[in-house]
Amino acid sequence: MNDLSNSPAFELHQLASVGRLLTGIVHEINSPLGSVLCNNDVLERSLAMLGELLADPRPESIEKARRMVDTCRTLASVDKIACERIRSVIRGLKTFSRLDANELRRVDLNQQLQDTLKLTQAEFRRRIVVDTEWGELPEVECYPQMLNQVFLNLLVNAGQAIEGEGKVTVRTALEGECAHVSIADNGRGMTPVQQANAFRAGFTTKPLGEGTGLGLSIAKEIVEEKHGGTIRFESEPGRGTTFHIRIPIRQGASRCECERA
Amino acid sequence: MNANGHKPTVMIVDDEDMIVTSLRALLELQTDYRVEGFTDPGEAASFAASNPLDVVVSDYLMPKMSGIELLCRLKELQPEASRILLTGNADKHSAIQSINQLGLFQYLEKPWDNQQFLLVIQSAAERARLLRELREKIQDLDSAHSSLKNVQKRLIQAFL
Repeated sequence: MNDLSNSPAFELHQLASVGRLLTGIVHEINSPLGSVLCNNDVLERSLAMLGELLADPRPESIEKARRMVDTCRTLASVDKIACERIRSVIRGLKTFSRLDANELRRVDLNQQLQDTLKLTQAEFRRRIVVDTEWGELPEVECYPQMLNQVFLNLLVNAGQAIEGEGKVTVRTALEGECAHVSIADNGRGMTPVQQANAFRAGFTTKPLGEGTGLGLSIAKEIVEEKHGGTIRFESEPGRGTTFHIRIPIRQGASRCECERA
Repeated sequence: MNANGHKPTVMIVDDEDMIVTSLRALLELQTDYRVEGFTDPGEAASFAASNPLDVVVSDYLMPKMSGIELLCRLKELQPEASRILLTGNADKHSAIQSINQLGLFQYLEKPWDNQQFLLVIQSAAERARLLRELREKIQDLDSAHSSLKNVQKRLIQAFL
């Protein structure tokens, strides 16, 4: 088996998909960051004013100071939410760092999917509703960075298949010895020709510059060659597409068990 | 408060509640302006249809309606209100396009500097006040002109 994670095609594709989402990611970080910086300055200004107000014994000053303390409390809790938001975006990006590319690890697949969804949020937020159903899963032994690449890829495809407003549904479930992840969209669906060529490297339906034509062929390689899992889809023109990925909970489990699931 | 006792109204529109909360806290601490905050651009547009505004600060990327669409609508509803775009996307191309298209007063980027933000809001409110004053003066001038014409007409009639 050749080492997929070190292949230039994999790296290029990974860079392309993260790069495409970068505008959204920048927006996703700049908003909470703007809020935190603004709040910090307001808190400093408030503290300076509070000193003066508390030194003034008149009841209206005390009342004003009390209101100011309430505002400060609100801003402190906004800061917490904002930092949590930034942290979750960074966590999503970290799943694409190359540090653990070749490391087989046991991970919470639901968490990995949630982190990856964060990266598409800004892109989707304006027009796509994401429905999730997280099934109970044991830790799954896998190459997380590679699987996240597959999830991101399928999510971006799902988003691009939807013109205008629509819905993407992400579900996970335990099926025997496998984790089953499905990613469905109610977009334009694939024609029979597109379906027949979907996993072929170099085949794309996207305009020049948008698709590398490597996404699904790499996804298939990652799921089937690297993890001994399966990737299938069903699609209907005008109705949408659903991808089903099945990954054995433990590597070394027989491949056919996943096939049967 | 302005010299004539008018309290400027600033509308803040951002689908992120935290941005609205932060800007409201800043403006309430540092100015005596009235602040109206919205996370839904549609609601902001209907509010603007029946309430006079001096300054509108809008986000760029929002669900349902973009900041450009909202400010376009507000330009028709309240041409005198100063329009400011506050965006997380540092895209100079869209900035230039929107400044030309909307007659934007200012284009600000997130994260912003509070001191600069306050200065921009103050001058935006001042601009709105001056435009409104100008319109009132023109109206006064118009009515003075027409009543002068009336007097002139009556004067002529009196002598005929």
